Order: sequence, then C-alpha cells, then structure tokens
Amino acid sequence: MTVVLTDITKAYGTQHVAVKDLDLDIKDGEFFTLLGPSGCGKTTTLRMIAGLEQVTNGTIAIHGRDVTHVPARLRDVAMVFQSYALYPHMTVHENLALNLKVKGLPKAEVEQRVQQVATMLRIDQVLKRKPGQLSGGQRQRVALGRAIVRRPNVFLMDEPLSNLDLKLREETRTELKKLHEDLRITTVYVTHDQSEALVLSDRIGVMNDGRLLQVGGPHEVYSRPADVFVARFIGSPSINLLEARLHRDGDGLWVDVSVPGGAGLRHRLPDATARALSNGHAHDALTLGIRPEDFLIRRSSAPGRLAASVDFIQPMGAISYAILRLPGGDAVIRERDHLIAATDPDDPIERGTQVWLEPRSDRICLFDQQTGRAVG
Amino acid sequence: MTTAPSAGLRPARVIVNTLTVGLVLVWLFPIYWIFLTSLKTPKEINKKTPTLLFEPTLENYRHLFDEFHFARILKNSTIIVGLTTAIVMVLALLAAYALARMNVPGGKHIALWMLSLRFMPPIAVVIPFFITWQKLHLTDTHLGLVLIYVAFNLPFAIWMLRGFLVEVPRDLDEAATLDGLGHLAIIRKIILPVIAPGAAVTAIFTFVFAWNEYLMALVLTSHEATTVPVTVSKFIQAYSILWGDVGASAVIELAPMLVVVFLLQRHIMRGITLGAVK
Repeated sequence: MTVVLTDITKAYGTQHVAVKDLDLDIKDGEFFTLLGPSGCGKTTTLRMIAGLEQVTNGTIAIHGRDVTHVPARLRDVAMVFQSYALYPHMTVHENLALNLKVKGLPKAEVEQRVQQVATMLRIDQVLKRKPGQLSGGQRQRVALGRAIVRRPNVFLMDEPLSNLDLKLREETRTELKKLHEDLRITTVYVTHDQSEALVLSDRIGVMNDGRLLQVGGPHEVYSRPADVFVARFIGSPSINLLEARLHRDGDGLWVDVSVPGGAGLRHRLPDATARALSNGHAHDALTLGIRPEDFLIRRSSAPGRLAASVDFIQPMGAISYAILRLPGGDAVIRERDHLIAATDPDDPIERGTQVWLEPRSDRICLFDQQTGRAVG
Repeated sequence: MTTAPSAGLRPARVIVNTLTVGLVLVWLFPIYWIFLTSLKTPKEINKKTPTLLFEPTLENYRHLFDEFHFARILKNSTIIVGLTTAIVMVLALLAAYALARMNVPGGKHIALWMLSLRFMPPIAVVIPFFITWQKLHLTDTHLGLVLIYVAFNLPFAIWMLRGFLVEVPRDLDEAATLDGLGHLAIIRKIILPVIAPGAAVTAIFTFVFAWNEYLMALVLTSHEATTVPVTVSKFIQAYSILWGDVGASAVIELAPMLVVVFLLQRHIMRGITLGAVK
C-alpha cells in the first residue's frame, strides 16, 4: 500500500508550526524512516498518517484513497508506540486479539492468527500473562505482534526500540528487518537514531524544524547529503566541516581551506563537480564536508595537504579515531573545535604527532555557506 | 545477623503499634457500644451502671421491623442510593472522559468550577428545592431524592474521576482507537478497567454520601420515600428516646458501608494512591 502526503502542514495555534509543506511518496512495501532530532516534526507526521492528529493543510492518501478526513479507527493502520501502550488489564492474548474481535472475525480465525503471530515472535509461552509480568523485550514483541496480527494497510512505528537496552535493541533491529523482508508491509518508522535508520530503511527522510530536507536511500543520505544539517546529523562520529573557498586555477577548479600560519588544504575537484559548480554556483565561500573515514592521515607533507597534530586517539575496536587540532588555529572548523579522522588500530599514532590530512579524492561534500544546501 | 536492623527498630515499632491499636479502639468503641445497645432490653439500657455482660436479645430488631416498617425504609434507602450511585458513576465517567481527553475549551476550569458547586451549603437550597419539587410532584418520591443526590454528587465524582483519568497514558486511548474502538468502547473496555480502583473509591464516596444524607431526605420525604437516617432521628421522641431502636437501626445503617469498605479496601488503598507512584 502506498502512502502519499501532499503539501502537509500542521500548525498548533498561530505561533507553532510543527510540519511545513511536506511532500512525501512512500512506495508499496517500502520500509521508510523519518529521521530527525527531537521536535523536528517526525512524530507529528506519523500521527497525521495514523489519523491521531488532524492536518492543518494538505492531503494524505493511503493506497490511492484520500484519508485526510477519515477517522483513525477506519484507516486500517497499525501503530507501535514508543511506550508500547499495551492494555495493562488484558492478557497478551487479549491484547493481540482485540482488533480482530472488534472486526468481528470468527473465533477460530482469531485464535489461529494470534497463535501464528505469537509463535513467530516467540511470545506463545506468555499469552496468558499480563503486560506487567513481561520483560521489556517481551512487551516490545507483544506491541509488534498487536500490529502484525491485524495485517494492516500500513505499519507505523514511533521509536519502538528506544526503551530497550543496547544489546536487545540491536537484536530486535535485526528481527524487525527480517520481519519486514518476510511480510513486505509498507512501514513508516520514526527515530532519532541515525544508525537505526541506516540499518533498517529502504529509504530515509531526514527532517529538521518541520521540514523534510532530503529523501533517499541510506547510502545516498550518508554519502551525498543534500543539506549541511543532514550531513551533520547522519554518521557517527559526525562529518568534519571546514570553511573553504573555490579557486580557479588553469585547467581545474580547486577547493581551498586556508589556515593562518600553517599548511592549508588544497583539493582539485573532480571534473563532474567542477562542471556543475561552474554552471550553477555563484558564491566562492563554501562549507567543505569530509567524513572521518574519508580523511586520510599521511605521515609526510605534500602540497595541498592540511597540517594537523594528533590530540588523542579514540579506539572503537575495529577502527580508531584520531582527534586532530590545526596548529594554525581551529577557526576554519565549523560546529566543533577539532577534526576527526579514522585510523587503523594496527598502525597506531602517538599523541602529539604531526600529521597531514587529505580527503579521499571524490568523497567530499560541498555546501553553500548561506543556505546550507549541497552544491556541485 | 540479618535480623539486627529490625531488632534495633523494635521499640519504635512497639510504640507505633500500641498507638495505632489504641486509636483504632477509640474509634471502634462507639460502634461496639451501639452494637451492644441494640442487643439490650430497655431495662438493661437504662441501668445507671452500664453492663458489658447481659443476656442479648433481638427484641429491638423485631420492634424496628414490626412497629416502624423498617424493611420498607431500608428498601427506600437501597433504591435511592443504588440508583444515585449508578447514575452518578455513568454520567461522571462520561463527563470526566470528555474533560480529560477531548480538548474541551477551558476543561480544567470547568472541572474546578464543577467542584466549587460542592462548596454550596445544602441548607441554602433546601427550601427552594422543596417548593420546586412540590410543584413538580417530586416530593416524597424516590426519583425526587435521586435527582437531588445525583446533582449533589456529580461534580465531586467528575472531579475525582477526571483526576484518575488524566493519569492514564493517552497512548492507551490512541492504541485502542487504532484497534478500531470508538469513544464509548474505549471508556468501557480500556479506561474503566484501568481506573477501576479509582472508580471504586468514587463510587464508595457517592454511596456513603447518599446513604448518610439527612437534611434533604428530612425535608423532601414524609412517608413513601423516607430513608434510614431520617427514620433513626424519629426514635428521639418528645418524652423518651428509644435507645434500643436507635442502636438496632444504627447497626443496620452501618452494615452495608462496613461490608462495602471491607470488600473494596484493597481497591480503596490503590485508588487513594493511584498515580502517586509511576
């Protein structure tokens, strides 16, 4: 079932606008994640799809049918709440069966469906228990089961894993992915956890301040962010951002990061990027984004390499991160006062070592300093 | 050695327990005394030195039912109080749900305003009620008292239930909505079972108020719909007080409340502390 949001706005009173002019086209069977920080409007958007919030403007269609003014209970969407919202006075069985009974399904079918889902989610041993007698993980699975047992048009999930501890969260994440692969029911998932979004989603919509900034596959939003906010929000540790200028020299277009009194960065843009920039971009002042794993650490200087010193090393197991300072001053670094670059733990670098940085050739992002939008 | 800390607390606990038992005895003694009185003959009751050991008799109870038609009066009270409690609970639950959940403009203020109706002294309105009820032919009828008791109890019940209701996470209503339930079904199947302890406490308060109400019943009933408290007062006569009948009727009046409170005491405790601990 497709979910299409057209020009959706949600305002509370005249002052607070939670969602602005949102257009979204979720495909049949897709796992779509709305990702963003707290208060960005992602949960409000989900609740509007569910019918729990009225839209101020715009239309919502599920499977081609305009449901903008259809009451929530008639939309046939199932939602998994952050709090799980299990009925505390009912047994797990009753929790799972409620919707089927409301729909008036024959008793035998209700029983068969509940058993099937309970077995699938490994909660068949606790069907007679009440939610208060279950562990966090079991409650989470009951909440999922309550949604699955209905075979709804659309699954809506509002940060369903956020109450689980890290290990259980990772396990459940995998189960959720597998479950979606099996059922292929259109799923709209809300989270502020970018790693969850990257692992689970077919596509991700990144939101901030009520606006949808970018929609794309996990790799696309990670490697080609459309906006400086998206670049910063996705990826851990987050992207390095540097103040840079465009520089035309002979045959090519170069991006320069000048560091007073030190060796600055000078990088020749790939031809395609150069062409795109020459055609469209007017400003020379840009923000240069380089992911930590795309910042290569060199032990020797060369023209165009950025001089830095190793402040300390953060080992993360398979990989280590070097926290780096620029001797000429950190003023060119945006959002924080240091740079981060990935290093190989088998090739350790001492604290205080002088190193030189250069980006992996085509793995840089450029953003307009005024608008924050990607250029090139 | 794990008993050491509790051993240290023992003297304090003994004092607290002694005080508690003492207090309970002081509170229970009048009830005990009334119970004894109800089993004594008039001669025994009027002895200058009260006795604790005597031959008990059910004569007072027999007198009460034979001479004062107490069965009918008990039936009146049961009908009036039962209906009042049922109507109050249904209306209050619906109103409380609307106030707590449906974004009624100024819902909080409405709830407080309703509660403020309870501040009004009944004596101030009893005469206007009497005149109006007479014109509507509602005096000395079950319905007449039920209407007044509902009006008097509803604000408090709404306010109390609303308090319990706002503690119930909205997610539950929303999950139920998405499960296909309408408002009434949500109240019946989700909200009511979740706030059952609170609802039980509210019902007990309503029941107790209506069961004990004296002023309105005295003024608005005379014979057909008269209630237990009014009848008890009639045993204080011009030249004598029928202590035996007072005792017996008081025991009968107390009995249902003791039974209700005893049966629901677990819920009462949970109701009183509902929402105190997440």
